[in-house]
Amino acid sequence: MNLTLILGLVAVGVTLYVVGVYNDLASMRTRIAASIQEIGNQLKRQFELIPNLETSAKAYLKHEKDILKMLADARKMSDPSAKVAELLPKLQVIVESNPQMKGADVIGKLMDELRDTSDKIMYSRRTMIDLSADYNIKLVTFPSRLIANAFGFQTEKGFETAPEETKTPKISI
Amino acid sequence: MINVYESVDANKRRSWLVVAGFTAFVALAAYFISRAWGGPEMFALALIISGVMSFASYYWSDRIVLGISGARPADKKRDFMFYTVAENLCLAAGLPMPKLFVIDDTAMNAFATGRDPAHATICATTGILSTLTRTELEGVIGHELSHVGNYDTRLMSIVTILVGLIILLGDWLLRASFFGGRSRDREEGNTGVIFLILGFAMAILSPVIAQIIQLAISRQREFLADASSVKLTRQPSGLISALKKLGADREPLEAANKATAHLYIVNPLKNRHDAIGWFASLFNTHPPLADRIKILESML
Repeated sequence: MNLTLILGLVAVGVTLYVVGVYNDLASMRTRIAASIQEIGNQLKRQFELIPNLETSAKAYLKHEKDILKMLADARKMSDPSAKVAELLPKLQVIVESNPQMKGADVIGKLMDELRDTSDKIMYSRRTMIDLSADYNIKLVTFPSRLIANAFGFQTEKGFETAPEETKTPKISI
Repeated sequence: MINVYESVDANKRRSWLVVAGFTAFVALAAYFISRAWGGPEMFALALIISGVMSFASYYWSDRIVLGISGARPADKKRDFMFYTVAENLCLAAGLPMPKLFVIDDTAMNAFATGRDPAHATICATTGILSTLTRTELEGVIGHELSHVGNYDTRLMSIVTILVGLIILLGDWLLRASFFGGRSRDREEGNTGVIFLILGFAMAILSPVIAQIIQLAISRQREFLADASSVKLTRQPSGLISALKKLGADREPLEAANKATAHLYIVNPLKNRHDAIGWFASLFNTHPPLADRIKILESML
């Protein structure tokens, strides 16, 4: 085998490698951009969904409260002591039945949806963090950093937390 | 404290080491057996037969397993937690949403199957869905999704094909010698005799050895799936308490059998074999729960 052939093969190999790394970095950058859009997509879902859920939960709770109030009023109106004499001979047993209260279920479902929604946003941020980390590793490890430097690939900042978001929230019920 | 990335990388390396060792072993065993008896054509024939048999189970793995298990498709309203947890973890793992199924069984278990992430299926029992909290279920579904993302069904199918190859070759050699010796007589003398002896030894021992290595690969992939699950959820505590609950559940799963056991998160046949000690552990599809929990606790 002569020298030119060997050099030629090496040149082809190096070129393929450079093209491969370049394409990797370029597609990773595109994926990071897409993952940032996904975070926006999840935030939009939250923005549209949560107020609607809140409204419907409130509407249901109000409906239930109204029923309870009506029941209580109705019971107050009929004064039992005045009618005792009248009722005694018949000796009736009055079973008071209350409509089933579903308020706890409604609030439980609302909380499930809230947790699911924040999970979705958290996981979409994680995708973005992971992708940026993979990309940044390529930028600092050898030999891909040579190619990244040659083509001017910049480090991705990843996800940043605002200072007020790092405080532990206090719950008051 | 073990870094999640390092844990996933180390498991991937170990897993490849086991697979490479397995491939080398199969090649060696096949070489000696075919050398002792036929030629390369026997090797090719065994590979084709074993390949065709296993390919069907690989290509239609999801439908076959679901057919056996009698599962119903999950729906978002009825199985809200299962559905949304899977949806969210797919988001984090960058995988397409798999098909979700529920098996009506009070035994706690879950499994993943399908030839690639686009055809993946995750199945959970009603027992596991009703017992685990959301954080625990995230650990379990993360484990199953990692099997999908790591192409474990594909890997185990290839391994099954190779084990089948060895079993067929060994079987043929033993039968052929029973019915009147070798088909070729060109190799006489000392080397011929040595190869014949080696071939017979391999024919008898290698099917068992191959199966032991196959199970070792299966266990290695379980450790990898645990580590990858933590990489997704970043909450080892969820998977730890899920595994503890699964360990406390003594009920075997009706729908599972030996062919599908390696797919589940914990061995579904736990009550059906009771051999003790190191020898039994060689034939387990899953590493002991205590070991898995210990490794996860080191990630806390």
